[in-house]
Amino acid sequence: MALQPRNYSAVVQPLSARGSGADNRAWDAMMAAAQRGDGSTYHRLLSEVAAWLQRYYARRLPQAMIDDAIQDTLIAIHEKRHTYDPTRPFGAWLAAIARYKWIDALRSLKMKPTEALDDDIPVPDHEGAVTSAWSLERLLATLKPAQSQVIRLVKLRGLSIEEASKATGQSAALVKVNIHRGLKRLTSLLRSESDAD
Amino acid sequence: MRTDSLIDRLANELKPVRRRSVRRDALALVVLCAVELGLFFVMGMMRSDMLVAMHLPSFWWKLASLGLIGLVSGTVAILSLDPARSPRRGLRRTVALIAVCLASGWLLDASRDGFSALMSRLDWVHGLQCLYNVVLLSVPPVIGLGVLMQRGAPTDLDGTALAAGLAGAACGAFVFVFACPFDDPLYVAVWYSLACGAITLFARFTLPRLTRW
Repeated sequence: MALQPRNYSAVVQPLSARGSGADNRAWDAMMAAAQRGDGSTYHRLLSEVAAWLQRYYARRLPQAMIDDAIQDTLIAIHEKRHTYDPTRPFGAWLAAIARYKWIDALRSLKMKPTEALDDDIPVPDHEGAVTSAWSLERLLATLKPAQSQVIRLVKLRGLSIEEASKATGQSAALVKVNIHRGLKRLTSLLRSESDAD
Repeated sequence: MRTDSLIDRLANELKPVRRRSVRRDALALVVLCAVELGLFFVMGMMRSDMLVAMHLPSFWWKLASLGLIGLVSGTVAILSLDPARSPRRGLRRTVALIAVCLASGWLLDASRDGFSALMSRLDWVHGLQCLYNVVLLSVPPVIGLGVLMQRGAPTDLDGTALAAGLAGAACGAFVFVFACPFDDPLYVAVWYSLACGAITLFARFTLPRLTRW
């Protein structure tokens, strides 16, 4: 069996949450203030974090899933803010939560069909969609061809299982199995990358 | 809901929080295990031949192994409640530690009787009772670690749950060492491993569902 390419590190690249070290320290201080109950600083921090998350998820998720992922992450940050240790960088803490929610979003692809990154659908942020599609392609390239093919057709292009079965020549049951295994493999690849970080 | 409205709402409902502390979590777990051990003694469950047992190398092997496994896996579980920390490396060390413990037990065993009549030493009736008791005693620490997982922010739920299961099982088995009259390393390796394995698997498949955030 041929080995699959594993060059997904370009997709799962390390995060520098903000531009400079001084900026990162500013976020550390803002989150520490938020833990003490400073609402206005927290509002500013969440606004900046939301903008960063927009860029983060634009490279990793289909356009239609980005807003949900951002909001899920903001709620997670809010609910788990007591776990942030101000002696450590906020950027790493945020990146870990963003990655966790990203994996969650990828897992949710198993549960529901997602909007297609279809060439015919007008997308407001064309650059984001292109980058997102490119990143997904890089991830899918790490899978077996049969798996990536059916994930593309069913999860990204919105075809039914039967249509994907006809298009690929795989049985309907095999399409389901390949989607399940492919998404599971993607999740474990992202996890192991997170472990390596 | 729009993201801007969500940010407004979250900022408006912001309240000061008490920061999570690794030491406080570890202390809570230690206190829970100490309470369980204390209750165990108060209920008169300690083995009657404790003074004799304390002169047996296999008793100390059993106690030290389970204590070490509980300490290491508990530390791994608690540290991994920080979203930026992965439990995987710690889990690998825990597995290596378990292998060392079992190998040292095997050495103790081999130095005693050789390898004859191994099956007869398993004592199935008492073995199953031991298994049941270890599982029962592991429940409180596993629940305690589950609560800590719920309160913390583990980002590798499966790994943390595995470490929590190992820690809880080792804590339960550690407490049971004081009641169990069997010090045969083969008996301990088989029945304690089965009990700890069952609890660990249960935690691995249950805790991630209950503590997803």
